[in-house]
Amino acid sequence: MPALIWFNEDGLNPQHQMVQDYADAPKVYVFDVNYLKQWAIAKHRVQFIYESLLEIPNIEIYKGETVATLRQLVTDHQANEIITTETPNHLIKSWQDELLKYTNLITYPEVYPATDSRSPRRFSHYWRKSDRAWLTLT
Amino acid sequence: MKRLRTDLEGREAIADYLQAEFSFLENTGVLAPHPGGRSAGLERLEQFQLEKYGKQRNFLDGEVGQLSPYISRGCLELEEVRQWALRHGKSNSVEKFVSELAWRAFFHLVYEEEGDRILKDMEKPKVSMRRHQTRLPEDIASGETGIPSMDTFIAMLKETGYLHNHTRMYLASYIVHFRRVSWRAGADWMYGLLIDGDFASNHLSWQWVASTFSHKPYIFNRENLERYAGSVLPGDPRKGDPFNYSYEELSEQLFGSEYQPERSRTSGSYR
Ligand SMILES: Cc1cc2nc3c(=O)[nH]c(=O)nc-3n(C[C@H](O)[C@H](O)[C@H](O)COP(=O)(O)OP(=O)(O)OC[C@H]3O[C@@H](n4cnc5c(N)ncnc54)[C@H](O)[C@@H]3O)c2cc1C
Repeated sequence: MPALIWFNEDGLNPQHQMVQDYADAPKVYVFDVNYLKQWAIAKHRVQFIYESLLEIPNIEIYKGETVATLRQLVTDHQANEIITTETPNHLIKSWQDELLKYTNLITYPEVYPATDSRSPRRFSHYWRKSDRAWLTLT
Repeated sequence: MKRLRTDLEGREAIADYLQAEFSFLENTGVLAPHPGGRSAGLERLEQFQLEKYGKQRNFLDGEVGQLSPYISRGCLELEEVRQWALRHGKSNSVEKFVSELAWRAFFHLVYEEEGDRILKDMEKPKVSMRRHQTRLPEDIASGETGIPSMDTFIAMLKETGYLHNHTRMYLASYIVHFRRVSWRAGADWMYGLLIDGDFASNHLSWQWVASTFSHKPYIFNRENLERYAGSVLPGDPRKGDPFNYSYEELSEQLFGSEYQPERSRTSGSYR
């Protein structure tokens, strides 16, 4: 199935598993201008992201509105699924939800040792429950 | 939509190009000390002297990872950094460092569950915040508060896009408790300026400082500031110093007599 890899600002790893699993897929990133303006994102962050992207072979970098740009790219590349990474970021999640209306979306989860979703509201409780898992080399 | 160039070489050239493409960005005129990319992140990992971390991490000139730009932007995976640390064998430094990585995961778990509700008070504040301003005062935004230490921290934030954890705590506490500004106004501002800006770690830490995601407000005094930050500070005038009090006095001044503080805090650790 033709796929499109979409990087988001929380997942800029050129060696991520998804890149290996979809080695032939075009890879894209969108600088969302409205987001940058609304949250007054500083130039240092934009440059950091851009420099990180340059390490991803054959990356296509766009500026525009995220969902509209991705819809256009899906059409241009005749893709029928978007591959991306999971993040708790509610803004990125809302773009992902919107995209789901138009295409398949495969998200690779964040990896860490203790992911009990009934997370306690104090770190000390969380740590007491999961320090072993965190401190064990797997 | 517009496709951007990917053939630029050199950080200066990139800075000029991005300034032209995104003309609304404020031009700081300097390059951030942390270049983007996984290879720079791996290099940073190699330089990081983990064995010093346990003892030095609370000091502004102490050894810390400076990895958050790389971890938050996903250039390095949290899990690979954890494994890297554990391969050093057991020590206080390793355990401390891994527990800090776990803080990040903890905040993410809460954010995953709560979604954008983390942008509002998670709990009732433990001190009154009813009269806090909802907009960030201009002198804070521009780093012209007139308190050299705080202005230095703000300048560091703008010039580098990175701050030491203790510095973030000082600044947040100054803004929320000493200046009586709502944590949300401060959090939104800092989120945009940090390279590692992350709603979970940032907004929930601001709430931790404010006491809407913790048992008590976080405050600091002159003694604490001098001990942990003295080496990088320009020196504040002693006259009218808002920080030069005991914790009991500060608590009375900032929160009134109904609030009973616990024993004073001596380090930059969360509980
Ligand atoms: C007001 C305030 C705002 C903050 N905003 C952010 C933010 O937007 N993004 C962000 O990544 N961190 C944030 N932090 C958490 C912490 O300050 C930074 O992660 C840390 O200072 C990064 O520096 P370092 O890589 O040298 O940390 P180290 O001490 O070397 O720690 C290693 C890694 O562990 C994680 N970590 C360490 N301390 C914490 C912590 N207290 N909470 C969560 N993760 C932690 C980070 O990924 C960090 O890179 C904030 C803290 C405060 C008090």
